[in-house]
Amino acid sequence: MNADQNQPWNSRAWRSELPPGRAAVTAFIDALRRRLRDFESRASLPQELEQAVRQVIAGDDLPARFTQAAASVGLQVHPASPVDWMSVIGDILRKHEAHSVVVQLDTDSPLGKRATDDLGNRLTADGFAPTTAVDDETLFSADAAVTSVAAAIAETGSVVCPSGPGLARGASLLPPVHVAIVHASELVPDLCDYFDGLSAAVGNSPLGPASSSSTSLPANINLITGPSKTADIEGILVTGVHGPRHVHVVLVSP
Amino acid sequence: MSSPTAFRQRVSEAVADERVVRAVHLATWHKVDACAESMRQLRDPEAIRELAAQIKQHTLENLPRYLEQFVAQVEQSGGQVHFAPDADAARRIICDIAAQHGAKLAVKAKSMTSEEVCLNDALEAAGVRTVETDLGEFIVQIDDDRPSHIVTPIIHKDRQQIAQAMARETGCEYTEDAEELTAVARRYLRGIFRRCDLGITGVNFGVAESGTLCVCTNEGNGRMSSTRPQVHVALMGIEKLVPRLRDLPVFLKLLARSSTGQPLTVYTTLITGPKRADDPDGPEELHVVLLDNGRSDLLAGEFAEVLRCIRCGACLNVCPVYRNLGGHAYGSVYPGPIGSLVTPLLQGLDEHAELPRASSLCGACQVVCPVKIDIPGLLVRLRARTRSSQPLLKRVAVRLWKWVMKLPTRYAWAQWWLPRLLRDCGDGWARGGPGPLGAWTHSRDLPIPPKQSFRQLWRKRLSDER
Repeated sequence: MNADQNQPWNSRAWRSELPPGRAAVTAFIDALRRRLRDFESRASLPQELEQAVRQVIAGDDLPARFTQAAASVGLQVHPASPVDWMSVIGDILRKHEAHSVVVQLDTDSPLGKRATDDLGNRLTADGFAPTTAVDDETLFSADAAVTSVAAAIAETGSVVCPSGPGLARGASLLPPVHVAIVHASELVPDLCDYFDGLSAAVGNSPLGPASSSSTSLPANINLITGPSKTADIEGILVTGVHGPRHVHVVLVSP
Repeated sequence: MSSPTAFRQRVSEAVADERVVRAVHLATWHKVDACAESMRQLRDPEAIRELAAQIKQHTLENLPRYLEQFVAQVEQSGGQVHFAPDADAARRIICDIAAQHGAKLAVKAKSMTSEEVCLNDALEAAGVRTVETDLGEFIVQIDDDRPSHIVTPIIHKDRQQIAQAMARETGCEYTEDAEELTAVARRYLRGIFRRCDLGITGVNFGVAESGTLCVCTNEGNGRMSSTRPQVHVALMGIEKLVPRLRDLPVFLKLLARSSTGQPLTVYTTLITGPKRADDPDGPEELHVVLLDNGRSDLLAGEFAEVLRCIRCGACLNVCPVYRNLGGHAYGSVYPGPIGSLVTPLLQGLDEHAELPRASSLCGACQVVCPVKIDIPGLLVRLRARTRSSQPLLKRVAVRLWKWVMKLPTRYAWAQWWLPRLLRDCGDGWARGGPGPLGAWTHSRDLPIPPKQSFRQLWRKRLSDER
């Protein structure tokens, strides 16, 4: 039962036999498996998580829950309609005296395929300098970024920004102001809803054979819950350390 | 590394440093309140802790197959996996990666595991300038200090010290304003992020089913370090695995609440492989370095549950010993109650035999632990392993105590003598005393036992009633 009793305390003998490079990974896992051969696992993997974990259910008023949670972590939520969302964005950018604006909208977002062009034209007409370029020079010097999201979580007030074609990770990170456009249909009630979705996308059974499906996830997903924050200096809360100091959410509801 | 005398020396110095003690007191009390409040927002915090403990325990007990799955998935998504049996190997692997790419400037996100393997010194020695980018760790680095808390590394520093270090390093105007100091650091580190060619992060959770790395930061140092450089190296203890993506919310809901009282860290970053062909930015290469460094020795043993730890720091904040000492006195990378277990268990009990004794066993750590590690129970079991290294006098005293406690007559005899031997200082407490008793009462409250024992009172009452 107790593998430790059969081996000397702090046994490190097998380590010197490890092959170099990648082969060491396999050799280690094999050695570990041999070592734990007689060990009987007692803790089973819980299957039912939701009952304990879930805070928000689908029947709740999701926009209200989201707005409340987002406000409490320092995100500013601006309600908008499918008609006026672009002017709401203009107002936010004007308030921050932004000029150069990086725009990164997913073509699959509920805003529609033409949203990037429409928003670009509108912002240009309003006197801003929108761009979809994401080279270092642009990202480091831009005054603001406008992005779409893959989801927004009502429980925590988080917006979810994935990487992908036309979606630079630096957009929601480098400029000092980030405006995320959330369509009401993108709201999910709880963290567990979002992660259940990811698990389903991967489609692996936990102990089954590896499938090729891990690339079905974007390489990089960020759950953004507030502006960049620190309290390292005497516990004083300061925003805008590495990431944006101001994060706005334009919540588009029909 | 550390002898009992050196340990006692560090403790005396720490207790004497009023500035540090005051700073740590304030910060930890504040955090304890914030954490308790945010845990109350959960519908059923106890059930979530139970689930978290169970998932971690299950993963540890089946680690070979989850590791296998994780490794296969990381490689499937285009990442490379390395195995480091010990700290030396981890340093070598990462320095090799740096050398292969001709890296000259590395940025580091906050990672306790990298502290554990002393990565910075090795990289610097290999000619790679290595810059900490978590604000607290950055200040630790420029002030040539050591972190004293696993979540808030400069909990022991006040703003004057920070202001001096910043002015010295960045050449900025001296300011004690936290906002301005942060802005200075932001500008300075942006210059670094612009030029860096290697990024190093830790990993909060590795997901077996998808090979995903979950990195949680508030400032964005984890995002910057895994986005800006062309090469991203993630150093990860083998115990960091969870089986499924859907297990993550269980831990995410606990981690930030237990560590700072937030519902979620500002950035929860999920990394699955390096930059894809059609991604506009991100690292071209992702290297995951799996670190053992003594962890696998604990699996299947009586101390396996310490590997459940998610490094939230809650046990440090509630610990009366930590609060009165700060982190440096522990003389190890991982301070506080969990550190008093992890350090001797991973690095050797002989060098850290005093640490399991640096606890009052009050149990506050166990109450707040999000993964329900029985810290006091394990500390006692670890103490048992270091019995022989205790001073002779102490061992004799414990034997004597055991001998007395075993027989009612001896116990009654001792009970009669004790109040007559101890000197009452006039307030009902005993202080001082001959030899080791003096030292013992110096740091412990010992009430004078009443002259009449409970047993005597009971006997008297029975005879009165008769």
